[in-house]
Amino acid sequence: MRRSVLALVVSFTLVGLMFIGNVALAQPVVKIGAIFPLTGASAATGVKLKYAVEVAEEIINGLHPDIDVPLARTSGLPKLSGARVQFVFADHQGNPEIAKSEAERLIQNEKVVALIGCYQSSATKPASAVAERYGVPFIAGSSSSAALTERGLKWFMRIAPNDDMETKFFFDYLKFLNQNYNAGIKRVGVVFIDNEYGVHAAEMVDKWIETYKKDGFELAARIKYPTTVSNVDTEVQRVKAARLDAIFHASYIADITQFVKGYRAYDVTPKAVLNYCGGFQDPKFLENLGRDANYFSGSNAIASSLFAKMEVAKRINDLYKPKAGVDIDGPTIEDFSSALVMADAINEAGSTDPARVLEVLKTKTFYAPYFVSGKVKFDDKGQNEYSASVMVQVLNGVYEAVWPVEFKTAEPVPAFPPWRSR
Amino acid sequence: MNQRSRHEWRSLAIVIGLLAVLPLLTKNVNVHHVIVMFFIYASLGEAWNMITGLAGQTSFGHASFFGIGAYAAAVAFYRFGASPWIGMVIGALAAAAVGAIVSYPMFRLRGHYFAVATLAVSEIVFQLFVSWRWVEGATGISVPVAREGLWTLQFHSSKLPYCYLALAGFVAAAAAFHWLANSRIGFYLRAIKDSEEAAMAIGINPAKYKLLAMVSSASLTAIFGSIYTQYILYIDPFMVFSMHVSIKIVLLTVLGGLGSVWGPVFGAAVLIPLSEYTRVLFGGTGRGIDLILFGVLIVMVACFQPQGIVGILRSRGRSGKGGQTRDAKAAA
Amino acid sequence: MLPQLLASGVIMGTVYGLVAVGLGLIWGVMDVINFAHGDFLMISMYSSFWVYTLFRVDPILSWPIETALIFALGYLTYKVIIKRVVDAPGLSALLATFGLSLILRNAAQFLWSADYRYLPDTVVADRRLLLGPVMIGLPQLVAAFGSILMTFAVFYFVRRTRMGRAIQATSMDKDAARLMGVDTERVYAFTFGLGGACVGFAGALLSTFFPVYPESGALYSTLAFVIVALGGFGNVKGALQAGIIIGLAEALGGFYLGTQFKYTVVFLIYLLVMQVRPKGLFGW
Repeated sequence: MRRSVLALVVSFTLVGLMFIGNVALAQPVVKIGAIFPLTGASAATGVKLKYAVEVAEEIINGLHPDIDVPLARTSGLPKLSGARVQFVFADHQGNPEIAKSEAERLIQNEKVVALIGCYQSSATKPASAVAERYGVPFIAGSSSSAALTERGLKWFMRIAPNDDMETKFFFDYLKFLNQNYNAGIKRVGVVFIDNEYGVHAAEMVDKWIETYKKDGFELAARIKYPTTVSNVDTEVQRVKAARLDAIFHASYIADITQFVKGYRAYDVTPKAVLNYCGGFQDPKFLENLGRDANYFSGSNAIASSLFAKMEVAKRINDLYKPKAGVDIDGPTIEDFSSALVMADAINEAGSTDPARVLEVLKTKTFYAPYFVSGKVKFDDKGQNEYSASVMVQVLNGVYEAVWPVEFKTAEPVPAFPPWRSR
Repeated sequence: MNQRSRHEWRSLAIVIGLLAVLPLLTKNVNVHHVIVMFFIYASLGEAWNMITGLAGQTSFGHASFFGIGAYAAAVAFYRFGASPWIGMVIGALAAAAVGAIVSYPMFRLRGHYFAVATLAVSEIVFQLFVSWRWVEGATGISVPVAREGLWTLQFHSSKLPYCYLALAGFVAAAAAFHWLANSRIGFYLRAIKDSEEAAMAIGINPAKYKLLAMVSSASLTAIFGSIYTQYILYIDPFMVFSMHVSIKIVLLTVLGGLGSVWGPVFGAAVLIPLSEYTRVLFGGTGRGIDLILFGVLIVMVACFQPQGIVGILRSRGRSGKGGQTRDAKAAA
Repeated sequence: MLPQLLASGVIMGTVYGLVAVGLGLIWGVMDVINFAHGDFLMISMYSSFWVYTLFRVDPILSWPIETALIFALGYLTYKVIIKRVVDAPGLSALLATFGLSLILRNAAQFLWSADYRYLPDTVVADRRLLLGPVMIGLPQLVAAFGSILMTFAVFYFVRRTRMGRAIQATSMDKDAARLMGVDTERVYAFTFGLGGACVGFAGALLSTFFPVYPESGALYSTLAFVIVALGGFGNVKGALQAGIIIGLAEALGGFYLGTQFKYTVVFLIYLLVMQVRPKGLFGW
């Protein structure tokens, strides 16, 4: 028995080694690496991002004349004589070390010509540094830390608006509420998770509050909570004690849901709660909270209410929803976009030569009708210039676009009604 | 005993010779990555083995020393532009100091009470680093890219230098453990492990020797933290102070065999490639299959070979009749 | 604000206490650290979720199912895995339970996806009591009372019943107990089951107000380690009391020192207490 166990373990290891060794089969396939947190604490989101990239793959490789996005009408990449695109998925488990080694493995062993990923900014950082070293283009779909595009990397690009842009967007929205609806919002607080995502968002609030002081805003609370939080009662007590008019939340789906339940339980009624790109945008938020989800707001790249206005988003969602069981959301469509833009750039370059792909990425304005801005264009730091976000608010259990005015699907409700009267 | 020790030195030398050739057999960077991680974790296992395998004080908190070393190298370079070698020395000293300050009062605690205390210390250190602005808190530090070389300990064109750096570290760690285990101190530590009262009765001061073991273990662990930083070039508190790091060190040493210089080597040789390749093969499915398989294998080894892998080899060597002994040698 | 914090702290503390009782029983009796303890909790929460979703049985009523199920899971774990490692030297049991934890956690993801799930509209959902300035959610209150009752049930079981005395005897000296005719094998299996039953029960109660997902047990097991040691190994009431202390430390420390430090306070208290009472607050 003992020997057989040992033999099993050893042979397992050897088989693994062999598997790794034999790659690079000559097929007319363009491989793009996609690194996401497919297990661990962020797996719920990571798996959805994987579905979205699979949808992109399907649209690129199949014939979808009804969907108005690049590469849908043809099968494969027309300028590479119809070569198919294959996304090679890797799991970084939320660990930057693994993100780095997976990026190396995908480039070296799987011979991917480009990379997308990694959701968490902390994983995107080392993975994109690897891409930089090997000279391979990297597009981050949904990683929002502004620091990512401040590193002076040549091969790195990002679709999502960063938290810097989001924070300004939030203040502008509050100003809009004050001016047009007399919301009377003054005391602003930020509640954030203690990791790169949350801490960086909070730093941006520190930065922008200086600019918006003249509009009567003050930063009344900064509440940081641990990543391994089990219950948020204490945090909710702090929020309550701070008597905030508006709360900026940088939270993931598990914690934001706990917070909403806590706000309800302890009768915390700010006028507005604005969420950074994170847990709030996940439709599970609506499913899990039901009525209690109403009146919460956040920036989002897409909203199901916009499907009526944006035919193409609806069609993409028709492919996505059967896989994921929920409507496509902001981070998901951003990673969908990163996949499609990358394939589009490779097609446009007419080759997988990284320098030519990069040239296209840096110069072209990509057609992206699934975003309200309709296009994607990277500036010289790699940041998408066209902010893809609208402000959405949950009204009657639906994410309604409420601002900017031109995309509005519903009137915003400028102040939370008391919990009791709901 | 002396002869056994010499015999062990010889087999160690042979194995290290073989390991030195290993990275040259392939150009595959991913295999090189696995080799680097193998050396680092095998060495961490040797360090942990000092305090737990020899002195019998179970530590669930070695991530704190690992993290201190990792941060020392990163901060030295990032803040002061100093060579990671300097950071490494500072990290080792700092870890030794933390180990001493924290453990000394805790040595009164026996068994699991001590183990939980190390866990608590490690969580506190983690929290301090997350909130410490000067070391960039939760955001982590990206080590600035510098010219390749031994002074900066950065190598970009190939992973081979890292393989040999980690191998050199491993040789030092294994030698340190071997020396400690076979020295007078090693005997004292084992006596303390068996019974503190008995050890005291024959005139050994348990606190003194436990402290010595803890300090050496902590500083050695920190050194590999520094190497890890230079290898990954990015660290944040969640990577290096995570309980997963502590547990991984514990697991691989127990898997290989506690208290033996070979334990961490075999443990890491199985555990590191296994976790890497199950993930590579099945991780992309997004359904956790790789970790299920990994878990099943761990349970099987634990159930059928509770002495660890070293136990398998020993038991066969001892019952050794002809073929079996040869097997054991071949496997070693 | 203070009364509110005290109330929240005590309530969470009792639940922490119950989770720790289960861990501590196993730890105290057979000297095995069950790393999969939090995952037992998670499995219980999932079963409570599925019983509710499929058969519309409220967790307030379905708890016997979860308790029995996790009892069985614990019993089986002993028979299949722990039995082989319980007498092995050098932390092998820890290795085995760690492997088990990986299996359970990822099997949950494999079977039920990594999504966060909530039980909507249970009997207790979204109701609360107002006691002057203090607000207490009904699910939390029920969980706290349930935890206290269960802890005392376990306490009296261990003190008063035949099996309980056998557990005590085995925990003091296994060999002596065996010589006295105690079937220590059965005692061990039963203890593992009982430890499971505690989290089985806790999981049913927690599922009314906590999200159910593959990692939902992870933090509880870390806190449970500290609570068990703080209370003293093998001390059932001690675990409950230590749980309440930790709950209060989390609430008060988090509020007054900054919520990011709430677990730091917990760990610091453990270290300080241990300086005065090296065998836990209620150990001897």
